[in-house]
Amino acid sequence: MALSYLANISRYIPELILCFTMVGLILIEATYGDKEKGSSKGYLFGFAFIGLLSSLVYLVQALPMAPVSLFTNAVVIDPFSTLAKIIMVLGTGFCIYLNKVSKDIYEDMKSEYTIIAVGVLIGGMLLASANNMLILYIGIETLSILSYVLASLKKHDSRSSEAGLKYVLYGGVSGGIMLFGMSHIFGMVGTIQFAELIHVLPTLDNSKLLILMPSFILFFAGIGYKISCVPFHMWTPDVYEGSPLPVTTFFSIVPKVAGIAALVRVSMTFFGSDSSVLQMSWVALLSVAAALTMTVGNVSAIGQRSVKRMLAYSSISHAGVMMLGVLVLSDIGVKAILFYGITYLFMTLVAFFVTSFVQDKYGNDHFERFNGLMSKHPVMAICMIVVMFSLAGLPPLSGFVAKFNILSAILSKKYYVLAIITVLNSVVSLYYYMKIVRLMVFKESESSEGIAGFSFTNQVIISALCIPVVVLGIFWDKIILLADGAKIFIK
Amino acid sequence: MMTLASYLFISFALFAAGVAVIIARKNIIAMLLGIELMLNAAALNFAAYTRFLNNNYEGHIMSLFIIVIAAAEAAVGLAIVIRFFQIRDSIHVDDATQLQS
Repeated sequence: MALSYLANISRYIPELILCFTMVGLILIEATYGDKEKGSSKGYLFGFAFIGLLSSLVYLVQALPMAPVSLFTNAVVIDPFSTLAKIIMVLGTGFCIYLNKVSKDIYEDMKSEYTIIAVGVLIGGMLLASANNMLILYIGIETLSILSYVLASLKKHDSRSSEAGLKYVLYGGVSGGIMLFGMSHIFGMVGTIQFAELIHVLPTLDNSKLLILMPSFILFFAGIGYKISCVPFHMWTPDVYEGSPLPVTTFFSIVPKVAGIAALVRVSMTFFGSDSSVLQMSWVALLSVAAALTMTVGNVSAIGQRSVKRMLAYSSISHAGVMMLGVLVLSDIGVKAILFYGITYLFMTLVAFFVTSFVQDKYGNDHFERFNGLMSKHPVMAICMIVVMFSLAGLPPLSGFVAKFNILSAILSKKYYVLAIITVLNSVVSLYYYMKIVRLMVFKESESSEGIAGFSFTNQVIISALCIPVVVLGIFWDKIILLADGAKIFIK
Repeated sequence: MMTLASYLFISFALFAAGVAVIIARKNIIAMLLGIELMLNAAALNFAAYTRFLNNNYEGHIMSLFIIVIAAAEAAVGLAIVIRFFQIRDSIHVDDATQLQS
């Protein structure tokens, strides 16, 4: 018994490292936090980056290992969840760096951002490998409760506290709805373990199925809120706009990837194998939600003045595209989602990094602030253009390949209408992404003064983040082959 | 004689009351109370289903965790409400309208 626990823990090292990192960060902040400004920050960021890096190393070397489920089936470690965790750890690391250099976070709040971001990351990793309802719920709540704090991090700013307030209210309501759905699912199948649930689901009679259907819709509310799919997306633009920019960057990567991973796990375990009434209604629910998510996200993004709000709506529509990969309910869809997640990470990071430094300079992030960026900072402008083309899904960039994979997955199941909607949405999104490109290249800036945020180091980091966007677009077949070799999923 | 149906009825009434409070009331504290009602409805469901249908303790564990997490959520929520009140001098949702396009 004791030995099996030890063996369990050896596969759980990445999360444990992060837990210790979080505790260590709190101790460092408590010990050195009151000293004169800046002296403690070096230790703090150094410690955070070391923790994230060692966790990343463990995750990468665990990637080819065989899937296992730990702690009496509560947590499952498979290549799928490990890849999702790698995306999240990378995203958190870059967000902490952005927090370090951005002016949008108060100087004395930078350490708190770091601590809470690591906490959210732990919640996201828990969610990505959740294998029973309790862990799923704990993961979602760890993710949410710490995110509320992050959203209202600028505590003297009325917009930031309003963002936190809206996040709390929407989050609490959707958490309650999800739990109510879960409780009825538990009542009907008699277990909270996903592994046992699969065997019980096909044996149920019609009266129980009748109760399960609305329960699954309620259950979907919780996950749908985390990935901001359409009926539950109302909080997203407000929270993204009110939060400081490094927080917005963080929100559009970590909770979203974790939520998609949880949605994939739930869909694949519950509905992956049998073709029952439940599966059909789940697919119908997901396809309607995905189509609405893409359309509403893209159409609302058109009229925005603030680039941050535009990127918020665009992240909604990207979540919709990722949901398309879920409703295929097969390995090809899961692989497409993983590839999409990786490219989405880099595209989002570059777009938000550039926006953040522009905003630090001018105090707001309206579209006209990008005027003439091409003549002032050509490298940055080219990076931004590449990313905008990629987000819109133009070849030969990685955004195109990611969308292409998703499309080929849904076409393999003959969902032609959804494919047409996706392509039309891609065309719509071209409009607002190209708006930034047009302003950067063809408009004159009002002043020729450079942007201080684009120091040499930051330019190098942004350009380095831009390289995968191009490289993944050209050498994508190698990556897909790599994913083919690993057995992505256990059932 | 309390049957499963009566527990489910009570929990559904609690849940409906929570939803009604959130929709009808404009006071943020009242809305947080409504969220608590919804969570408690779910916790009651878990306990009731375990008592009447199953022999394992998963439902009881689940409802214990719900209580703990609800407390944590309420703590963070109230802290944010206090911050909002200090800035805006109001705990009315209709005053939270700065972030709209």
